[in-house]
Amino acid sequence: MTFTKKIAAATTALVATAGLAQAQVADDSRLNTVLERGSLLCSGHNGSFLGFAEVDDQGNWKGVDIDLCRALAAGLFGQSEGNLEIVPISWAQRWPALQSGDIDVVIKVSGWTQSRDTELNLAYSRPYFIGAFQAMARVDLGAESMSDIAGGTICVGAGTSTERATATYLDTHGIEAELLTFENGDELRNSYYEGRCDALVEWAPSLAAGRVDAPDGADNHVILPDVIALEAEGIIVPEGDPDWLDVQNWMLSSLWFAEMEGITSENVDEVRANPPSATVGTFLGVNAGYGARLGLPDDWAYNMIKEVGNFAEIYDRNIGSGSPYNLPRGINSLYNAGGVFYPMIID
Amino acid sequence: MSTAASDTTMSYIRKHYFATPLNSAISVLLALFTLWVLWSLFDWAVLKAIWGKGLNEECRAHEHGACWSFVATRWRIVLFGLYPFEEQWRSALACLVMLAVAVLSCMPAFWSAKRLPILWVLGFATFFVLMRGGVFGLTEVTERDWGGLSLTVFIFAAVCLLGMPLAIIFALLRRSELPWIAKTMALVIDVIRSLPLLSIMFTFAIVLPFVLPDWAIGDKLYRVIVGYAIFFACYQAEIIRGGMQALLMGQEEAAKALGMGYWHRIGYIILPQAFRNALPPTINQFVITFKETSLVTIIGFFDILASGRAAAGTADWSFATIEMYLFVGFLFFIFVFCLSRYGAYLERRMAVGSR
Repeated sequence: MTFTKKIAAATTALVATAGLAQAQVADDSRLNTVLERGSLLCSGHNGSFLGFAEVDDQGNWKGVDIDLCRALAAGLFGQSEGNLEIVPISWAQRWPALQSGDIDVVIKVSGWTQSRDTELNLAYSRPYFIGAFQAMARVDLGAESMSDIAGGTICVGAGTSTERATATYLDTHGIEAELLTFENGDELRNSYYEGRCDALVEWAPSLAAGRVDAPDGADNHVILPDVIALEAEGIIVPEGDPDWLDVQNWMLSSLWFAEMEGITSENVDEVRANPPSATVGTFLGVNAGYGARLGLPDDWAYNMIKEVGNFAEIYDRNIGSGSPYNLPRGINSLYNAGGVFYPMIID
Repeated sequence: MSTAASDTTMSYIRKHYFATPLNSAISVLLALFTLWVLWSLFDWAVLKAIWGKGLNEECRAHEHGACWSFVATRWRIVLFGLYPFEEQWRSALACLVMLAVAVLSCMPAFWSAKRLPILWVLGFATFFVLMRGGVFGLTEVTERDWGGLSLTVFIFAAVCLLGMPLAIIFALLRRSELPWIAKTMALVIDVIRSLPLLSIMFTFAIVLPFVLPDWAIGDKLYRVIVGYAIFFACYQAEIIRGGMQALLMGQEEAAKALGMGYWHRIGYIILPQAFRNALPPTINQFVITFKETSLVTIIGFFDILASGRAAAGTADWSFATIEMYLFVGFLFFIFVFCLSRYGAYLERRMAVGSR
């Protein structure tokens, strides 16, 4: 036996034993704390954030962020009912609340910025939503992309990152347009609706939410597909807790994997009874391994999909075509539909 | 009689509003302007308004009137916040109990050192059992899910009740004859008064858990109430001290000469008069405290203002912010107006002695 072969054999043996063993979750991981407590404390809002965290007529939370909380709780405990508490917190309070243990995880449309990632000792999951700055224009203008706005005026918030991004975008694309800036968000939107400018640039979900209230009806306004700049929203856990962060990343990956495989909350039972491939079987907990490596039950992804559905379902229900906002998915689609998201490999 | 009265009214109006042609012109113009404002308001809020449940589509299509359909549909969110839907009667009942206790304790019949504490302990116990549940077959609802009007009323009542005795103690310490006690208290009061309420709330809600031992942490709600009560006490202590200093020195000296002990002097001579002197600023302080309870929304409580924002913060109702703020403002108005009317009544009543 050559030396290389010996090494290879030893490595294989090591990997095999590692594969047999259960995942080693650090004792002080938030994952253990949550599992022992029997409930997940997830971030809510002190009010509402349209499409991401709203309160319905019965006082129940709904929205993209809330659905991700429910998915996480369902994955950890089998179902979110009775195992999830949405803690109302403010924007300013989300980081201290996470550090002090008032909440276990921040899912609150929070952009991934350098200072938060480094100075604030936070760890970001991969983004689950890309908030684009986009433009809205009146339908009768006939504009189909930003270049059609050339020669017109664009309303934008003064001194915001939106203003800078829009100016840069116009420069680099050689589009001649006048920027009209406004200090106040309501003033900005009203000016656009009153016809002061041809287009309005804002964070896309806010644009979609505002469009619903257009005085002349949402149908008279179109959100142009061009992306002016991006902000990546991720799930945040305290730094130095890789086991807990793994759960977040694999939760998101599972939601995209289900979408990719066409597994929905409705057909998940059929797929599980008759998995089309070994990978899907592993994914839904028919074969062992998918959960145990994370320190979770093997059917955790099944429980998640069963309760909230795949990522497309979450999106459509809350901000997409199934909601009053009707926000096109665009860059937030899977890669094979022109977006930037993809599931990781299940082996 | 009536003709005489209307005569005086007419002459009063003529004398004060129509004395000269210029005066008359200004009066007429202002009267017309006021009428126009009132009419537009009435038109918007009543004539062109949309009433009835769940008419958000009609409201959206209709631009010129108020959409009270928002209140008709979402009032439970505004009043009860995130309190579980089926259990909201408990929140309503708890709120009524608290209000009843407040009204009862405003009646002179309850003003005794025995009755008032019993009334309030009973009131708080009932409120807590109803809100929190977990006993007598009521499902448990943690403080996190409390919200809306009952939370606002609870915070206000708890802060005043904790803060008032504390304020009296602070004021007495501040007037202590031992300089080091008086000076230390003055420093404490000045330091706390120079901090913004928001930062005190933030500290008590978020920073304190890092410092305190586990058994002393308690729920965030109670920590914030304690912090707010200390803040309230510092302001109220200075108000009471002002009331004490307005008293003539002779009063206390006479009481001493009669051989009254310290507690008798304070309880029977100083405090009653100090409170009478300090009544207007005290009512003022109560009103400010009630309105500032809405600051707790910053540390993630679903007080009435946050519930209002949540109620208007859905795709269906996001246009109805004006109606939402008017409704919440109206609720605040009812409370503050009652408080100030009660203050006026107290002043009249207490003035009897000095007449």
